[in-house]
Amino acid sequence: MNGTRSVPTTLPTMILKIAFRNIFRQKRRTILTALAMVVGFALLSLTIGLSDGAYGGIIEMFTRNRTGHIQVHREGYLDKPSLYKTIDNLSAVGEAIQNTADVEAWTQRVYGAGLGSVGEKSTGVQIIGVDVAREIQATRFDNKVIEGSILAEIASHEAVVGKGLAKILSAKVGSEIVIFSQGADGSIANDVYKIVGIAESGDDITDRTGCYLHIEDAQELFVLEGRAHEIVVIVSNINRVDKVTSEIEANLSDSTLDVAPWQVIAKSFYRAMKTDQQGDAISRWVIMLIVAIGVLNTVLMSVLERTREYGVLKAVGTKPVQIFWLVICEVVIIALASICVGALLGILANYLFSIYGITYPEEITYGGMKLKTLYAEVNVRSLYIPAITVMLSAAVVSLFPAIKAARIMPAKAMRTH
Amino acid sequence: MEQVQKADVIVTAGVTKVYEADGVPVNALNGIDLTIRSGEFTAIVGPSGSGKTTFLNIISGLDSPTAGSVRLAGKVLSEMSGNELSDFRRDNIGFVFQAYNLIPVLTVEENVEYIMLLAGVPKAERHDRVIAMLEAVGLEGVADRTPTQLSGGQQQRVAIARAMVSEPQIILADEPTANLDSKTGADLLVMMRRLNTETGMTFIFSTHDPMVMEGATRLITLRDGRIDTDERR
Repeated sequence: MNGTRSVPTTLPTMILKIAFRNIFRQKRRTILTALAMVVGFALLSLTIGLSDGAYGGIIEMFTRNRTGHIQVHREGYLDKPSLYKTIDNLSAVGEAIQNTADVEAWTQRVYGAGLGSVGEKSTGVQIIGVDVAREIQATRFDNKVIEGSILAEIASHEAVVGKGLAKILSAKVGSEIVIFSQGADGSIANDVYKIVGIAESGDDITDRTGCYLHIEDAQELFVLEGRAHEIVVIVSNINRVDKVTSEIEANLSDSTLDVAPWQVIAKSFYRAMKTDQQGDAISRWVIMLIVAIGVLNTVLMSVLERTREYGVLKAVGTKPVQIFWLVICEVVIIALASICVGALLGILANYLFSIYGITYPEEITYGGMKLKTLYAEVNVRSLYIPAITVMLSAAVVSLFPAIKAARIMPAKAMRTH
Repeated sequence: MEQVQKADVIVTAGVTKVYEADGVPVNALNGIDLTIRSGEFTAIVGPSGSGKTTFLNIISGLDSPTAGSVRLAGKVLSEMSGNELSDFRRDNIGFVFQAYNLIPVLTVEENVEYIMLLAGVPKAERHDRVIAMLEAVGLEGVADRTPTQLSGGQQQRVAIARAMVSEPQIILADEPTANLDSKTGADLLVMMRRLNTETGMTFIFSTHDPMVMEGATRLITLRDGRIDTDERR
C-alpha cells in the first residue's frame, strides 16, 4: 500500500480534519452559512462605525465649539455660577495646565450677564470674555464668525455678537452695543463696544444671547483684572480626557478649584448621547438575530442531511461528546473564516464612509449641533463587537444541532437516506 | 480428542422489539433467546421483515430492546451509559454494513485507522496495523483514495478492514454481500472465513445470500421475529 503519507496523530486532529473536509464537501451550504455570518459581521461593523462616527463627530463638535474637553472653575461655580467665583492665580494655573501631557490647547474665559442695547433696542446678553489668540487655537473661534471680522488680539473695545442676538437688536457690523451690568466691586458697569462681527456657534441659545468681548475688556467691565471664571482645555485625544483630568488635578493640587471632564460639564448632553447609543444596541440585536437564524437554519439542515453519517460514526465507537464537538468545530471554523472576511469588508466600508461620509439631504440638528454629513469611524469596537457577536451567535445556535447529532440513535440514523 | 469448551459471547434472553409505525405497534422481535459462542461463523436468515437487522442492531447496542436483555462479552448492554456503550462497541464489535457506511470525507487509510484513534492506539502501531489490514483485504494500492473513488467490492473490503483492525471479539455483518456481484461476494466470504479461522473472531451475518448460508457453521432462521430453526453444522 501507499503507506508513506503521514497519518493524523491524535483524535482531535482527526475530528478537525473531518470537520474541515465536511466544510469543503458541502460547498454551497458552507457558502450560505458563511455569507450569513460575513454579511452580518459587515453590517454590524458598519452600524457601529457609523454610530461611533456620528457620536464622535457630535461630541467633537460640541466639545470643540463650546465646552472644550476639560474645564477648570472655582469650586462650586458649575453648580451655581457667580461673578465672584473666579480663578485668581491665572498664570500659575495656566502654566500647570500647559505642562500637562496630552494638552493640545487651553484658553480662559470671563462670563457675566448684562443688558445689551443697540439703538433703541435692548435685551439680556451673556457676555463672554475670550482670550482671542488662545480661543482660536482651542475652539476655532474664528470659524464661528460668519460676518465681519474676529475680535482684535489686543483689547480694542470691540464686540462680536451672536447671529440671533444681532437679529433681536437689529445690529449690524459697525453698530455700537452698549452694555450695562454690575462690576465685581459692586459698581455700575457700562461701556460701549463696536460690533465687528456676527457669530454662529451652532447653539441657538448662545447665538441669541452671546456677546463676545476681548477678555481684557470683559475683565475691565466687571472689574475682574487678572481673573477668569473658566479655563477650557483641549486634549490631543478625547479618549484620554479622564486621564488628563486627573493629571491636571494633581498638577494644580488646589482644592479650591474644580477640574471636570466634558461628561460632567455637559451632563444632560452626555446622558442624551448615552441613551441614544443604547437605542442603537437594539439594531445590533436585530442584526445578531438575523445572523443567528441564518446560521441555525443552515447548520440544522447540514446536520439533518448527515444523520446517517453521524449514525455510522456512533456505531463504530465515536462518543456522543465527540460528535457534539465535530458539529461545533465545523461551525466555529466557518465563523472564524467569516469573521476574517467580514472584518476586511467592515474595515473597508467604514474607511470609505470615514472619508466620503453620507451627506444628509437636509442639515439635521442634534443637541443644538448642526450636522450635514455623517462620517464613519474605523475603530477596534467595530471589529471586536461583531466578532464576538458572530462567534457567540454561531456557537449558541449550533448547540441545538450539535446536541441533536450527539444524541442520534445509530440504528435509526443509519436507516436515514 | 478433548473438546475445547468455547465461551458464550452473546446471550440474549426474551429480546423483544416493538416499533410504532404510524401509531400502530409492529412486533419486530418476539422474545428471542439465543446463545452464540466464541468463534462461530453464524448466518441469520429469514424473509424480509423477519427481524434480522433489528436483531443485529439490538445485540450490538445500536438499538435498544423493548423487553429482554442482551449480554455481550459478559456485559449487560442495557446497564451501560451512552459513552460506555460507544467504548464497548469500539473495543468489542466490528461492523460491516450492507451499504458499506464508510466515512465519506476520510481516505481508505483514515477510515481503517479511525477506530484505533478512538481507542488511543499509538501512531506507529496504528500505521502498522492499517498496512497489515489493507494487505489482508487486498487493498494495498488504494490507501489514499476516498470511498467514492472505489468500487462496491472495494468499499466493502475497506469496511471489513475497518471492522477487523481493532481485533474485536465479534464481527456483525448486515447483508455484507447484498450490493456485490457474486464473484466479489464469494471472494469476500472466503476472506472472512479465513480471518475467522485464523483469528477465532466470532462472525454473525444477516443474509439472503445462499452462498453465505452455505459457508456458515451455524444457520439461524428467523420468522416473524422468532427463531424458527437453529442448525449447527
